[in-house]
Amino acid sequence: MGIRLYQEPQLESPILVASWPGIGNIGIIAVDTLKGILEAEEFGEIEPWDFFYPKRVLIRKGVLEYLEFPSSKFYFKRMEGKDIIFFIGEEQPTEGGRMYAEGRKAYRMANLVLDVAEKFKCHRVYTSGAAVALTHHTTKPRVWAVPNSASLIPEIRGYGNTVLMSDIEGRGGHGNITGLNGLLLGAAKKRGFEAICLMGEIPVYLQGLPLSYPKASKSVLEVLNHSLKIEVNLDKLDESDQKVERRIEEFYQQIPSEIREQLDRLKHVTYAQPAEPGPITEEEEKGIMEDVEKFFKKRGGGD
Amino acid sequence: MSQGDPIKIYREVELRRSSLVLGWSEDGGNLGRKATDYLNWKLKGQEFAEIEPEDFFSLGGVAIKGNLAQFPESKFYACQEHELVVFQSGSPGAEWYKFLNSVLDVAEHHGRVKELYILGAMLSFSAHTAPRELLAVVNSAEIKEVLSQYDLVKDMDYQTPPGERPTLNSFLLWIAKGRNIPGISLWVPIPFYLAAMEDAQAQKKVLSFLNERLDLKIDFSDLDQEIREQNELLARVRSRFPQIDDYINRLESNLMLSEEENGELIKKVEDFLREGG
Repeated sequence: MGIRLYQEPQLESPILVASWPGIGNIGIIAVDTLKGILEAEEFGEIEPWDFFYPKRVLIRKGVLEYLEFPSSKFYFKRMEGKDIIFFIGEEQPTEGGRMYAEGRKAYRMANLVLDVAEKFKCHRVYTSGAAVALTHHTTKPRVWAVPNSASLIPEIRGYGNTVLMSDIEGRGGHGNITGLNGLLLGAAKKRGFEAICLMGEIPVYLQGLPLSYPKASKSVLEVLNHSLKIEVNLDKLDESDQKVERRIEEFYQQIPSEIREQLDRLKHVTYAQPAEPGPITEEEEKGIMEDVEKFFKKRGGGD
Repeated sequence: MSQGDPIKIYREVELRRSSLVLGWSEDGGNLGRKATDYLNWKLKGQEFAEIEPEDFFSLGGVAIKGNLAQFPESKFYACQEHELVVFQSGSPGAEWYKFLNSVLDVAEHHGRVKELYILGAMLSFSAHTAPRELLAVVNSAEIKEVLSQYDLVKDMDYQTPPGERPTLNSFLLWIAKGRNIPGISLWVPIPFYLAAMEDAQAQKKVLSFLNERLDLKIDFSDLDQEIREQNELLARVRSRFPQIDDYINRLESNLMLSEEENGELIKKVEDFLREGG
């Protein structure tokens, strides 16, 4: 069990961009979109059978032809001094029916991804996920950035539309990132890689829906493009966003009007510091959260 | 996490070229458990190895079944005179690849197993009066050819539907294929209203195939008696409850019942069989 590389491309000081599915699939859509736009080439995988239960069987005329497992694949793109390795995990390896990876298997997978980063001398690792936030779906999602080293903070402060945990009121710079998108950040720190997790905001009332949220993926990619100093056209994500937006609006109109009125007020919430005194007080914000929690199942932090 | 090898060998067995028959305890109609129990009983199976549960089963407590505390068991039995290894186990809830490879490790290295038979039940919406079929899925064209002389449904096409996952039996068949062990996954459709009980006819169907294929020379007169008794009980439930008779008549005419009717049929039959008629 381990890593299988089909080829060993010559790469110049690449960075690694990795993601697994999570809330709204924000991170994985961002990474997969960039991989697609750049036409990155597949060059390896993590062998799946020790991590995953198979996802599909094909039996033809009574003969088992193949068993398909969730994939965990590596891709590369040469970019004239800005080479990129992508890692995309189709599923998080979970144990005991949990939603996100944790424990021994998750740590093993994180380290296999970092083994590839080390082999190709990656100088930085990016991961991406979702930040569940008190925001409204009609506003532009911001990106919460979590580095694994203090030396990265000045750089992050230079990104547009990006906040650090300490900028978010009431958090005091604390929080957690559930699953492998977070764990990789920690495992990277342990092995001496600098790493940043970029999390696109998703409104708290959408976190439990079986919908992707490409609007936040676009925000993540804008930040990533800036950080990597590359320019790619993200119109493709706007098309996906329009389709999802219609479904979100349909869902939104089904919410009881008294709760919807409360949620409408989130359009005006500005809770990143420094902020002008907003049209919603702290007390009112608490009230909205309570109403939201009553109506929707509450789930924690980012992913 | 297990600190060592999860495989425990209690004694070496003298087998030269055996077959492995595997049944899961939680099968529909209790098929896997009953059929493997029957083989062990008839062929004097002796326990020789087991797989420790800690890596593979949730050990957060114990389940209670039939008033008794249960504990996951994964045991191997050798029927030496018949060159047969029987494996009986609960379905593991984690580390499936490691578990299934452990099964084949014991089978190959200690049981000299050359062929694998996996037992499974599937729900059927047919009446219990319809003859049981036996479906086979194999892991190579060669073994399919070998099975051509038996009364099996061998041409099944299947693809996992969206939102579902393959069975553990398919996973094992695939691993066996990778280890060049010819494998056959046998499926008996069981009437849905017997799924939580037992279905002696289904047991006989799969056991008869194994008897013929592996030349086990089993006398099934006791199982035939069990089938007669079960059929009598089911005839009595039909005569006592006209509504149930109507439902079964409709199934016999290949008509579907509503969800509510299915539920009523299951409850009445289960209650009746549990009370012994």
